Amino acid sequence: MSIEKRIIARELWLAAARPGDIVKPIWFLLLVISMVPLALTPDSELLAEIGSAMIWIATLLALLLNSEHFFQSDFSDGVLEQWLFFDRPLAWLVGLKLTAHWLLHVLPLILISPVIALTLSVPGDVSIALFITMLVATPALTCFSGLGAALTLGSSRSGILGVLVMMPLFVPVVVLASGVLIRAMDGSETLPLLALLGAFSVASAVLVPIAVSLAIRVNIGGSN
Amino acid sequence: MNLKPLKLKIARLSCERDYRLLFDSLAFTLDAGSILRVAGKNGAGKTTLLRTIAGLYEIQEGEVLVGDQPVSEAMHRILYIGHRPQVTGDLSVLDNLKHLAGHDDTFLKCALESVGMLGYHDSLVKELSQGQGRRCALARLWCSDAPIWILDEPYTALDVSMIKILDNKIRSHVASGGICLFTTHQLPTLSEFQTLELGCVD
Repeated sequence: MSIEKRIIARELWLAAARPGDIVKPIWFLLLVISMVPLALTPDSELLAEIGSAMIWIATLLALLLNSEHFFQSDFSDGVLEQWLFFDRPLAWLVGLKLTAHWLLHVLPLILISPVIALTLSVPGDVSIALFITMLVATPALTCFSGLGAALTLGSSRSGILGVLVMMPLFVPVVVLASGVLIRAMDGSETLPLLALLGAFSVASAVLVPIAVSLAIRVNIGGSN
Repeated sequence: MNLKPLKLKIARLSCERDYRLLFDSLAFTLDAGSILRVAGKNGAGKTTLLRTIAGLYEIQEGEVLVGDQPVSEAMHRILYIGHRPQVTGDLSVLDNLKHLAGHDDTFLKCALESVGMLGYHDSLVKELSQGQGRRCALARLWCSDAPIWILDEPYTALDVSMIKILDNKIRSHVASGGICLFTTHQLPTLSEFQTLELGCVD
């Protein structure tokens, strides 16, 4: 097996061994969304208006929920430092791990979002826009939360710290995404904003693994 | 398995941690076929030295050359087994080995047989005892073609029979042109090795 296959395969084995990691964010998303009509109002017109934004925020939080321990267990049991001995750049391996994480833990959230949108009576075209926005924006968010996790590897109780460190990077993505949703509701052109979001994701997919690998190196170098 | 003979050269290596000088201007060369035991009290810097040579720590001063390459570019020629388990509790013994060592199942099962863990290849690592976990980690010695082995306390938690197996493996590794660096607080059972005594430089 090539090194790439081994990295991807391990993520699959881990996902099979810890199914809770996949189910937990989905459960969280469903729970938050089911609370919205209860806490706010069951008025379907209002829900249709705010529904897509609610789903977007809940997805963002669900995504943060499972990325807080991104590298932690691999770091503490010493598997992560073994990656440095592989005959590949660490940034490349990190990129693979981030990709696998997105496919296994984030994509399911995106796939169920149209169904959830239906329960909040979000109009069809807005729900499609929501789906596409999430598809385009979540790679960037996954990268940023991975970077937060890598930067705070050395400190105990790093969970929330990583999220706080990365919050400024989340903001532009959230602003652009809500711009897309507002435009979709008006029926105006969403493509330019989506393109910008896509550019954000592509740029972070290229640059963030490099930053993550440097952060991991620093943290391995400073630990015993 | 015959390895391409390789030299490990350490030159003017110094390291300071928390305002304490652990070693200063350390210099030695290990030829193919040599074993080095790094000795010293707790806190003398054995692990730090091994991790620095392995390329895990940034070199503060001096250089470590693997062949004629700096270690940062030659880490794939090193097999490092440290204090940490280096296996994931939630995965099976075989999957752990597959991830770290590659190779196909039959080859890996041979390696597991050598360390007496073949019967456990399907067990999750978290269900094993500490010594069995160490045996899994050490099974990588049977899968690796890296010429330089750096083993930090490899004998910890091993029983007498496994210590013997490990000694034999280290011997055959250096006999085929490899290099092995290790630390241990136990009385070493290997017969021929050089010793580097680390003491606090005050």
